[in-house]
Amino acid sequence: MTDAKQQTPFDVLQYLRQELMPHFLCPGCGHGIALRALLWAVHELGIEKDNLAIVSGIGCAGRTGAYIDANTFHTTHGRPLAFATGLKLARPDLEVIVITGDGDCLAIGGNHLIHAARRNLDITCLMLNNEVYGMTGGQVSPTTSEDRYTTTTPLGNTEAVFDACKLAEGAGATFVGREVTVQTPTLKNLILGGIAHDGFAFIEVISDCTEIYGRKNDLGSSAEMILSQKSAMRPETFENNIIDRPFRPNALPTGVLAHDKTRPEYGAAYRASIKAQQTKK
Amino acid sequence: MIIVGVGGQGVIMVSKVLATICQMQGHQVKQSEVHGMAKRGGGVFSHVRFGEKVWSPTIPKGGADVLLALEWAEAMRWINHLRPGKGIFISDTQHIMPPFACRSRQRNADAAYTRETPHEILEQIQDGYAMDATTMARDLGNERAANTMLLGVLSTALDFPAEDWRDVISRFVPPKTVDINIKAFDHGREWAELVHENPDHAAEQLRRPEIAPALLSEAGEHDGDFVQLDINVDWCKSCDICVKMCPERCLKLDDQLKAVLHKPELCTGCRICEWLCPDLAITVHRDPANVKASA
Repeated sequence: MTDAKQQTPFDVLQYLRQELMPHFLCPGCGHGIALRALLWAVHELGIEKDNLAIVSGIGCAGRTGAYIDANTFHTTHGRPLAFATGLKLARPDLEVIVITGDGDCLAIGGNHLIHAARRNLDITCLMLNNEVYGMTGGQVSPTTSEDRYTTTTPLGNTEAVFDACKLAEGAGATFVGREVTVQTPTLKNLILGGIAHDGFAFIEVISDCTEIYGRKNDLGSSAEMILSQKSAMRPETFENNIIDRPFRPNALPTGVLAHDKTRPEYGAAYRASIKAQQTKK
Repeated sequence: MIIVGVGGQGVIMVSKVLATICQMQGHQVKQSEVHGMAKRGGGVFSHVRFGEKVWSPTIPKGGADVLLALEWAEAMRWINHLRPGKGIFISDTQHIMPPFACRSRQRNADAAYTRETPHEILEQIQDGYAMDATTMARDLGNERAANTMLLGVLSTALDFPAEDWRDVISRFVPPKTVDINIKAFDHGREWAELVHENPDHAAEQLRRPEIAPALLSEAGEHDGDFVQLDINVDWCKSCDICVKMCPERCLKLDDQLKAVLHKPELCTGCRICEWLCPDLAITVHRDPANVKASA
């Protein structure tokens, strides 16, 4: 992070594979905003493109990583964290960032998430939560809110909603955060904190799916959707406030929800144990 | 007497001084004050009544013998409380622009501040003083002493000994600023006497260029006025977020349903459209050098 780098203003075009643009995402998809926030954080940290490894899974969110002009790896469904674990252990010099969706991370890759969080390897996991399987036509996902219509829940969703941040925190992630896309600079700062954190960082980005999810549930235009997402959230700073009334009863907290600096990072501990074993022989 | 001003100017301090000095002269005094929020549209005022016997602490409209205003718009707000034809009007010509008076976020924009100039008001009032006390006090060394300077002007109208005034003022102002406040008080007295002798003296002072409100004079120092929006129409997918989220409503979708900047003069370069464009199609340039580099 040199001073000269910080002075150059952020230009998202430098970090994009411009020949692939415009991207495949639907009009008004919040994943694009999350992509900008991620690249902005990378720029502010001064990470070289060659030292940046983006691992992404399947789905709209997974496809988003392909537009970044860096080392990108598009993996099988639900396994980006497994791939990233191997990558980070083999190449600890790389800054490994996982872009994954709610279905990718919580349904198919749920097992990988809890174990990646448990190990506390220095990976940043960016989960773009749009509450639906958008790429396959709008099926119900583990984070779909109650009573919402999808192609597989034509009568309204009756399943309980997964709180991904609580899951990650419970599984042992040492940095957990949540933010909405409409707060782009705040989201950028959160991602920046996650990447800079030495250990597993899990960041849930509340994104919007206007074309499929929003249309089926009458959630209005993209602008209305991102604003309603913002109003449904409760900044973490208000968490312990007695005056709770401005927020909805089931409002999810945003901001940094957990930050534990005491747990050792897995990669360093693993290499130390190997070294100890080698010196013994 | 009514004393009005904006929070922090010393309205309460001035009224305390007045109440005390009236008591010292053997009058009965009643004082009533409200400290609202003048900058948000409320009022900061203090009523001081004195005499042999005072019944009510407040002064009705058109019943004030003295209106002492520490700020020009507040003076205009309260001028109808002055006794018609007889009341003494003393005001600072300083402008403190309240935020709600700003009609738009453009720099140097037209603001809804009171349009009356000191000349217009003084022509209609028999015994009126409008002085740029803030600048004069700043010349003396501390612009916060403007209130005692106005007290100095007032002291020439009341029949109390000057020594008592100085004594009371030095009791109420912060200990460190006693000297400057006494100086300001004397300066105000001298100024008022000059005006008594030669009414044109005040007019001459006011002929100086109008003091620009601090808000506007500092605006130019902000990072340049250059704003240019680059919208990549090939990438734009007409999602409408930029149009709906722009605080100045200066973007719209054209007949091809692509975002265009249709009111460039309103754009403040706040970058909200850039941040929220999911298609990464909008770039806001604030520095002319970067435009050349990317072109």
